[in-house]
Amino acid sequence: MDFLNAALGALLFVVLAPVGGGLVAGVDRIVTARMQGRVGPPLFQPFYDVFKLMHKETMVVRRSQNFYMVFYLILMIFTGVLFFSGGDILLVIFALTLGDVFFILGGYKASSPFSFLGTQRELILSMAYEPIILLLAVGLYRATGSFNVADINAYPDLLIVFLPGLFIGFLCVMEIKFRKSPFDLSTSHHGHQELVKGMTTEFSGRTLAAIEVGHWYESVFVLGLLYLFFAAKPIMAVVAVGLTLFFLILADNAFARFKWQLALKSTWMMAIVLGVSNILVLYYFF
Amino acid sequence: MATSLSRSPWVIHYDASSCNGCDIEILACLTPGFDAERLGVINTGNPKHADIFLVTGSVNEQNKEVIQNIYHQMPDPKAVVAVGVCALSGGIFAECYNVSGGVDKIIPVDVVVPGCAARPESIIDGIIAAVGVLEEKQRTRRSMMAGLESLIIERTLPEDLQAILELQKMAYRSEAEIYGDFHLAPLTQTLDELKIDFLDMIFLKAVMGGQLVGSIRTFRDNHCGYINRLVIHPLFQNVGIGSRLMGAAESVYPDAERYEVFTHHKSKRNLFFLTRKGYGIYKTVRLPDGRDRLFMQKIRSQTR
Repeated sequence: MDFLNAALGALLFVVLAPVGGGLVAGVDRIVTARMQGRVGPPLFQPFYDVFKLMHKETMVVRRSQNFYMVFYLILMIFTGVLFFSGGDILLVIFALTLGDVFFILGGYKASSPFSFLGTQRELILSMAYEPIILLLAVGLYRATGSFNVADINAYPDLLIVFLPGLFIGFLCVMEIKFRKSPFDLSTSHHGHQELVKGMTTEFSGRTLAAIEVGHWYESVFVLGLLYLFFAAKPIMAVVAVGLTLFFLILADNAFARFKWQLALKSTWMMAIVLGVSNILVLYYFF
Repeated sequence: MATSLSRSPWVIHYDASSCNGCDIEILACLTPGFDAERLGVINTGNPKHADIFLVTGSVNEQNKEVIQNIYHQMPDPKAVVAVGVCALSGGIFAECYNVSGGVDKIIPVDVVVPGCAARPESIIDGIIAAVGVLEEKQRTRRSMMAGLESLIIERTLPEDLQAILELQKMAYRSEAEIYGDFHLAPLTQTLDELKIDFLDMIFLKAVMGGQLVGSIRTFRDNHCGYINRLVIHPLFQNVGIGSRLMGAAESVYPDAERYEVFTHHKSKRNLFFLTRKGYGIYKTVRLPDGRDRLFMQKIRSQTR
């Protein structure tokens, strides 16, 4: 039965995550537009974009750059499959990191100044979010006594009660993973920026579509991780996920982009102050 | 899916030498008042992500290369919209000593948006018209691909020479752009000169659905097969016609010991293609016009 549940979770993720991730991106673009006093694109705009990209010519600087991005997509699917089949959260985090490493290698491989600078920033961003996400795994273990996503999901109490500090830290991770201001240093959803398009500058056609779909898988996985904080009360969890998304979009529109120093400092401060103290409290008082 | 092309036109905007009037109106298209993102328009600022190239202002001697560069970096299918009267003809700047005229002097323009400055409504109309052009190009490419199976390579007859000359001039335009010289030998060749070539070379042609899409010529001297002037219709490049023509040209002289071709130092695409076909550079000669002619050869025993 456990195996069946795991297989079902994995299958649903592989099939539904691109749809869900694309819809989230579509809602995001509409809400952003409304916040700016515009009407905004249709809900299915991200899908139109990806379908279009699949029919465009794929230009490359070096052929191998596409190879890395395909691995990024595969590893993002793998990460989500591990997570939604209820696997070990440490393994999930390492798979996520490996996916990011391929993404970064691809960006370096394209070797244009814009792509290069964007990739360096992506590297800094992954340094920025790693500590929080590792502490999150420790915190989840301290609170529930298990690293297994299935056990954490089945834990009867609301985890946010035990992990408020890590939750705030995790909001930063979400900003980074959704490529939102103030942490959209490496590349952003919004067209014009100082690095042209940052690390995706040199990618076009099918490869860009693959990056976009990989990003959708990643978004759904991150939302799943957010869900764990409220997993004891599913209805409340869905509402909380929606509110958090709204908060992310609001922050995106309200903030300018951080410099990399500030991005790194603020997330590490968050990890050290909120994350570590949260775990210390768990350790001594529960 | 042809409809996805029409629903997601990503644009790149370049200010050639405009007074900024049209540029401000293009940006106005993205503001709440007009909100071009309703139609899926994104101002990418990156030629590799763009479908539509919006150029404002007249072209001057300084930015010719920039415009060509942006155009060539955009992936197919792509469309060019000349925004405003300056981009159309040079406008009031047309007489200036450094202005070469409208955008169509250097890249093919698909849509022209009138006005000085062009109004946001008409710019959006222009983008919509460009979307139509994109779809048309997509359809042509599709039908081409479908016709690729019916590709025939055969000996050229004397009455094809006129068509081959026209194709040659069309295909060598990109070479002329690379070297900034529109008087290259293939572009100035006359029909009579071509007829003389025809006497001592074997001409092959590639025909697809009754249309001439490519040609190549070859002759032999002792044990060497010389292969010259591989030309392919600009719309039909990068789909494998060149490889088949090269193969056919080599098999005209199956007993030759080596095959020889030449290209020039800046023609990166040709170099890449020929290297992949097994040719290596063995001699470089500086031509009087400043180009380096690279002679490349393939020894037959290496390939069989």
